Amino acid sequence: MRARLRQWYARWLRRRIPPAQRVALDRRRIFIFPTGYGFLFLAIAAMLFIGGINYENNLIMAFSFLLTSLFVMAIFHTYRNLSGVVLRAGGQEPGFAGGRGSLEVVVDAGDRRWHRSLWLRWPGGHQRELSVGPGEEISTLLDLPLPRRGRVDPNRLRIHSRYPLGLLRAWSLVDLDHRCLAWPRPLPGGACPASGGSTDQGQRNADAGSDDFRGLRAYVRGDSLRLVDWKAYARGQGLNTKLFSDPVEGRRWLDWDQLPELAPEYRLQRLAWWVLELDRQNTAYGLLLPGVVLDPGQGPNHRRAILEALALYGLGEGD
Amino acid sequence: MARVYQVPRHAMLWMMLAVILAGLPHVITGPAWLGGLLVGAVLWRWLIHRGRLRMPRRAVRLALLGAMVGGIFYHFGTLFGPTAGVSLLVGAFALKLLELFRLRDAYVVIVLGYFVLATTFLHQRGALAALYVLVVLAVVTAALIGINQPESGGRARDHIKLAGVMLLQSLPLTVLLFLIMPRIAPLWSMEADESRARTGMSDSMAPGEVSDLSQSDELAFRVTFEDEAPPRAQRYWRGMTYTRFDGRRWRQGGLGESWRTRDLFFPGRGSPPQWWEQWRDQRARPTYTYQVVMEPSRRRWLYALAVPFSETEDVGVARDFRLLREKEIDSTFAYRVTSYPEMPRDYRLTERQRQRNLQLPAGFNPRTRARAEQWRSDAATDQAYIQRILDWLGREQFYYTLQPPELGRNTVDEFLFDTRRGFCEHYASALTFMLRAVDIPARVVAGYHGGEANPLGDHLRVRQRDAHAWVEAWLPGQGWVRFDPTAAVAPSRIEYGLDRALEEQGSQGAGGVLDNLDQLPLILQMGYLSDYVEFAWYKWVLGYDQGARLELLTDWLGKVNPVRVGLALTAGLVIIVLPLAAWILLQRRAPGLSVWQREYWRMLDLLRGEGMRVHPGVAPRDLVERVARRNPSAAEALQTWSRDYERLVYGPHPGDRAAQQRLRRERRVVRRALRRR
Repeated sequence: MRARLRQWYARWLRRRIPPAQRVALDRRRIFIFPTGYGFLFLAIAAMLFIGGINYENNLIMAFSFLLTSLFVMAIFHTYRNLSGVVLRAGGQEPGFAGGRGSLEVVVDAGDRRWHRSLWLRWPGGHQRELSVGPGEEISTLLDLPLPRRGRVDPNRLRIHSRYPLGLLRAWSLVDLDHRCLAWPRPLPGGACPASGGSTDQGQRNADAGSDDFRGLRAYVRGDSLRLVDWKAYARGQGLNTKLFSDPVEGRRWLDWDQLPELAPEYRLQRLAWWVLELDRQNTAYGLLLPGVVLDPGQGPNHRRAILEALALYGLGEGD
Repeated sequence: MARVYQVPRHAMLWMMLAVILAGLPHVITGPAWLGGLLVGAVLWRWLIHRGRLRMPRRAVRLALLGAMVGGIFYHFGTLFGPTAGVSLLVGAFALKLLELFRLRDAYVVIVLGYFVLATTFLHQRGALAALYVLVVLAVVTAALIGINQPESGGRARDHIKLAGVMLLQSLPLTVLLFLIMPRIAPLWSMEADESRARTGMSDSMAPGEVSDLSQSDELAFRVTFEDEAPPRAQRYWRGMTYTRFDGRRWRQGGLGESWRTRDLFFPGRGSPPQWWEQWRDQRARPTYTYQVVMEPSRRRWLYALAVPFSETEDVGVARDFRLLREKEIDSTFAYRVTSYPEMPRDYRLTERQRQRNLQLPAGFNPRTRARAEQWRSDAATDQAYIQRILDWLGREQFYYTLQPPELGRNTVDEFLFDTRRGFCEHYASALTFMLRAVDIPARVVAGYHGGEANPLGDHLRVRQRDAHAWVEAWLPGQGWVRFDPTAAVAPSRIEYGLDRALEEQGSQGAGGVLDNLDQLPLILQMGYLSDYVEFAWYKWVLGYDQGARLELLTDWLGKVNPVRVGLALTAGLVIIVLPLAAWILLQRRAPGLSVWQREYWRMLDLLRGEGMRVHPGVAPRDLVERVARRNPSAAEALQTWSRDYERLVYGPHPGDRAAQQRLRRERRVVRRALRRR
């Protein structure tokens, strides 16, 4: 019964606020309800009304009416504070399955007014509070738990605000059609599941190897900081990246087939661990998965590409 | 040690101010040390906020709380009842500041603040007090806004601005609720202060008592006439008739059970007695309709011009042509009266009435009796006799004074023949005595005379110093006729009022030189103004009771029934809340945008409406590029707009109205081009 109710609710919500990369909060998308404090406030107003009657004191009665009216005006102000906010899906900060990743959300004022004290969070994530001024946009990274590898649907973004009086809470549940990549959780141990892929010799002319120093070139964003020639930088010669030519025997291919003893999921986890390990050792490595070949390389961008391939392997999300 | 919740810095000022300002009125009525507690707690909290002190431990807080409760108990002897209860609340309110551990605690402080603020009205009910409360309400609300904005970007003055705006927006709805919501009778009885003394005319009168009352400037009642007010000389506000005389003191006669059933009638309750029906048939023009707002007198008597008819609830009419109320008037009370001054009063007297109005104690005032009998036998008619007395009073050396000498056993004799100095009660008493002595039914009437017009409020103020006593005699064929012996002695008392009369008689008023200060034009004006505000405040706020509500609603709705009131409330809600909601929700521009900025924003809105993602800050010419990719014909129109826009905004010649209109036209062309696609 509960499950059906929840299903029905999810369907209703999906119809009402369909997923989109960009969602402007408006009448259809905003819900509003008094907070506990709001009910307390109304109770105080009611108490004062009764007190006003009993003491035949018109001023106390008027005071209670004023509080009630303030509450009514707060409905509009609270709603107004959230309405007009435009939410956009931004970038992402992947993480390992079982850990946490982050998704970027861009909060855009959308109109020419202040939207103060907005609280945002993904389900299971920490919330962040921010205010956007007229015409402003603020991007924020919100963390979320990553229960499994692959592209994780973070579910609906929770955005709420109690500004200005805290008497009411206006909220929305927005599906930003946003996915966070979860890499396989690293499984330590084992021998390096690498095959020395001498067959590819000569095919590759990697611009960054590790062993034999080949020369210097100007730093490009994304180059590993460990490869920067810091001594030269200290001499004031600018940022340069050291280039090494890869000795053939130094290239390693992390190979799916080298781990026959493990179940597929654990193979991916073990491979992920070795990716980190080899990266730490500054060794160039490539990846061989059934149907997937990633050439050896090095550096953060390479590592990310490899991990992404591991994350998405077998999930039918080739992109 | 619990982690201390940090009240956001921008909210701190309002929080501290709220506690001090909301507590302040209670410091005046409660124990003085409450003020110290309030200031001390705020100071302590401030030092905690600045990191100079730590939050007090639980034991310290409990000790403070115990001391506070004990102090309240010591001061009031109880912890219950409105006054002690409110002091307790204020104390808890102050101490709660030392217990702010979570956001929830801050909320509690604010809710207590609202409550404490409302209880101000238990003791203070003036317009100024209400204004004060409204201002403090804005401060408390600003604190509430502040704690709801934890990020550091908030600014303190934004909070008070928003609080002010929200309160102003709340006022129309408040007024509507105030006017329309039914006033229910108290659910259970509560006694406010019982200690106030009775003021005003008393139930009996002895020489020297009215003149004492005349030293007081206090307000007795206010009157608003619906049309014209009668001239000053005719404004005799009747309150009581004294029929029983014991040689020294005049009292009201026969207020027993038989009087209650026979001579008293509350319109609307039961069938009217015969005498009242007669009155009703004899009503004649002219009429005066007016509302009297009476200050609490803690007596039942109401004041009105002769002959009064009133339909106000709880107001009864007595057979001696006066009004009274069922209960004592212990808070300001308003009633409406229609008076028929020319109406004949009692063509016939019953034997009982006749006897009552002829009663005289034997063995008093032999000289006066002798004089009366002699003069009556000289005069042809009762009228001639009365006229002779009045002429005599005016001609002889009688003085009208606030400091009459004391009188011995035969008060009337001594006054008429020896001292000849007296106030209105002396004259009224003497004349009544002389009439009764020769078998003319007569009585002393006590009330007020005159009243000072407040030009601002269109109302009269009748003060205690206007207290007066005069005489009514019953003459065959005429009924009761008013005679005012004071008018014979000091005509200006009737024409111009007490001050003028005393001045002419060569004696100073109550105080001395300072008394004349209030005759200075500016001070007089200020006095009028404050009196007017006070009066309007009473009439529309404090005294707006079920009766006034029904009157107003009848005016508006024709008939008052729950359905109509419900409809009126709904209609009022719609009329008031919808425009306010529209104002709050649809107000689209941030303050301070120039005409040109607005034009730019409108163009952005237009493009966004067509599904383009454009962000503020895009240069107009870049907009053209963006549009060109989607819709070349619209881009052409936009090109024209952006060229003119940039020329006007950045060019050497500032744009005028015509330029604005041209831009607007060009924007419309863009819109049409976009829609055509």
